Amino acid sequence: MTYGSSGGKLALTGRSLNILITGVGGQGLITLATLLAETAIYRGVKALIAETHGLSQRGGSVEVHVRLGEVKAPLIPQGGVDVLLGLELIETARRLKTLSEDGVVLTTDIMLRPGLPGVKLPDKTSLIESMKNVVGDRLIVVPASKLAREAGGLLYANTVMLGALAASGLLDGLVDVEDLKAAVARMKRAEENMKAFQLGFDYCAATCRRGNP
Amino acid sequence: MPSKWLLFPGRATALLLGNEAIARGALEAGIGFASAYPGTPSTEIVESLAWAAQKFGIHVEWSSNEKVALEAAWAASVSGVRALAAMKHVGLNVAADAFMSIGYTGVRAGLVIVSAGDPGMWSSQNEQDNRYYGLLGYIPVFEPSDPGEAKELTVKAFEFSEEHEHAVLMITTTRVSHVRGPVELKDLPKNFKTKGWFDKDPSRFTLVPQNARARREHLVSKWEAIRDALSNLQPFNRIEGDGRILIVADGVSYLYASEAAERLGIDARMLKLATPVPLPKKLVLKALEDVDKVLVVEELEPIVENQIKALVAEEGLDIEVHGKDYTGLTGEMTLERAARSILEFLGRGAVDIPWKPVDDGGLAGKLPPRPPAMCPGCPHRATYYALRRAVNAARVKPVYSGDIGCYSLGVLPPFREQDMLIEMGGSVGAGHGFAKVLDKQIVISIIGDSTFFHAGLPALANAVYNRSPQLVLVLDNRVTAMTGEQPNPGTGINAYGEPAPMLKVEDIARAMGVEKVVVFDPFKIKEATKALKEAIEYVRDKRAPAVAVARRACALEATRRARRAGIKQPLYQVIDDKCTACGVCYNAFTCPAIEVKENGKAWINPDLCTGCSVCAEVCPFNAIVKVVEEGEGWDDVWF
Repeated sequence: MTYGSSGGKLALTGRSLNILITGVGGQGLITLATLLAETAIYRGVKALIAETHGLSQRGGSVEVHVRLGEVKAPLIPQGGVDVLLGLELIETARRLKTLSEDGVVLTTDIMLRPGLPGVKLPDKTSLIESMKNVVGDRLIVVPASKLAREAGGLLYANTVMLGALAASGLLDGLVDVEDLKAAVARMKRAEENMKAFQLGFDYCAATCRRGNP
Repeated sequence: MPSKWLLFPGRATALLLGNEAIARGALEAGIGFASAYPGTPSTEIVESLAWAAQKFGIHVEWSSNEKVALEAAWAASVSGVRALAAMKHVGLNVAADAFMSIGYTGVRAGLVIVSAGDPGMWSSQNEQDNRYYGLLGYIPVFEPSDPGEAKELTVKAFEFSEEHEHAVLMITTTRVSHVRGPVELKDLPKNFKTKGWFDKDPSRFTLVPQNARARREHLVSKWEAIRDALSNLQPFNRIEGDGRILIVADGVSYLYASEAAERLGIDARMLKLATPVPLPKKLVLKALEDVDKVLVVEELEPIVENQIKALVAEEGLDIEVHGKDYTGLTGEMTLERAARSILEFLGRGAVDIPWKPVDDGGLAGKLPPRPPAMCPGCPHRATYYALRRAVNAARVKPVYSGDIGCYSLGVLPPFREQDMLIEMGGSVGAGHGFAKVLDKQIVISIIGDSTFFHAGLPALANAVYNRSPQLVLVLDNRVTAMTGEQPNPGTGINAYGEPAPMLKVEDIARAMGVEKVVVFDPFKIKEATKALKEAIEYVRDKRAPAVAVARRACALEATRRARRAGIKQPLYQVIDDKCTACGVCYNAFTCPAIEVKENGKAWINPDLCTGCSVCAEVCPFNAIVKVVEEGEGWDDVWF
């Protein structure tokens, strides 16, 4: 099967990667997932995204499953997540259970208040500490609130994290970083998004580059 | 915005949403007519077609409900135009009256009815298994596993329907409709047949009893021909692998069962089914040859399992058939569930499951929940806030008869103004029953504009005719917001975005004979409270129905319109010295844009504020003020 309308093909590596993107409805999770998947199939790598729409999306806790490579089923099993890509801290913490034994957590430092009366938000530093207790040095917290604001506003946090993921090496053999950059350059508000991508990329290239999970 | 690939004229592989893939399949099949009422997870099928429609001259519409959508699509089909009607699973309940007769009449040009199910209830009030409808109405069920197959199977469904002069019910689930995956595009036709001719044949199409009896005989015999044809529906129905163990799986369950078996390293014969109803007996019998036992992996009800059990009994075969005893009846399929079912079926322990959840030491349990919430600037929040004040001011004991829409979120604290919710339009009908038997409680039926046009109209006629003392509160944001802001009869535009007649709820209410009709702006809390209090007192004192219309645009729609038109959005901020940390804005009004500082004082997040102004009125200390003025035309985008 030939994937992609044009362009060359990468040989299938036999590898698969399960990315669970989590955050709050409206943070641009689906945009992020679509960029990854389109970039993958452009080079002949299979990609599946499972999303939630409708009522559950309105400011609620959401997750998007992205599966790349040799996969069939749309949902990642609990305990099968290779990369937990978090756009919001509480939502990331809620899903640590889904990680595989050597799964990596890549999360923003953004914390959003649930729209319920009398909600007590956890303290950010101690929440990160609790997360470290569970996953150890497989936790990478990207200062995305700062980087996204530098790029133009909090809504660019998703692109910051895409840049960070691209720099992490986790996508190697499945998604080409240059293709991803080109896809970001075609986004709406391309200038801000490219800046956000680069800021995330540079941060992670300096601090969190690792091999395949 | 649907994928640009929908309109790509030639061959390519594109990443498409399952629903977009169905739309593309319908286009490749040369569809001429499509209709739907939006409902998650089905909405993007007709949304995509509407976007593509004008280029090809196809008629595409948002119908006022699913029954109308199906009736209209059937009429197009029997007039020789290929047609599709789409709806969510519960939408088929609304369309069921038409659906149950369509088997009797048959069709002419291909008719595909898409019903998108929701195992796990991500966005629905139940997880009914619509494959039963196929058995009930003698309509074959096609069930794709992923977007790529959904596209191919849609094309096949049109051909099959036309060949057999019979409708096809295509059933998807959330994990097909809302999955994006690679889809192989084929050429789009040069011409789309959008106009037909109705050849009259009353003996077939006019189902008076004498004709219906003859059609029933015809239907029953046709059913067996359809069953036989489905045995040859390659490659959608196929046998893979070999062994004395058979796993049968349909729809998306095939992908779970197949991947689970592969990852567990289990060699079994597998029967992949894309047509669970009627069971393709010849193919199943072939799959059963030399098999000792069978596991059926399917979501929800044992539709395939029970048909195979019946077949095994009919044929006197000595084969064990299992299914729901291992997979369970509730919720959606997962890899873990498929793996566990297969292992237990083989007598092996669940310890072999390759995925183990991490022990997070109870961390997840300590985190605050985050249910979905009404958006910043949502007029429903303001209406609920004003309604609570009006009820208190009128000193009545309310019963809030609820309905389906974004406003269903009013069930959550702090509002708790949805005391029941069963189905579309149910608020007014049930509200009538409540009102007739409750003499110490005042019934307030809360319904959105789209839901009002969908199924509220007959209930309002009943309320007037049978004089029920209820307040019907219509939350009129002039759009079908929950499914992504589709237009409806109250919007003033059609599915293509062209101007269309705008039906007004207050005009309809008056025409139906409602004597007390009020229209208010929910963003003006004091006026809204006054209007609602008057309406409640009218219902209490006159024991007759009243209608109140809360009119303000959906905040998502309003801010989008402003952005497109380049209209500057105002911004509100809290004056720190004036804020007393009373919490009214974040605990009683609960706008998500209002955050709480360490000292309990409020802070408005400028990234989230939509400039709706309501918090400024809600604040008892006048501590919230406008700090950025709106641009010209700002007020207009909100109506």
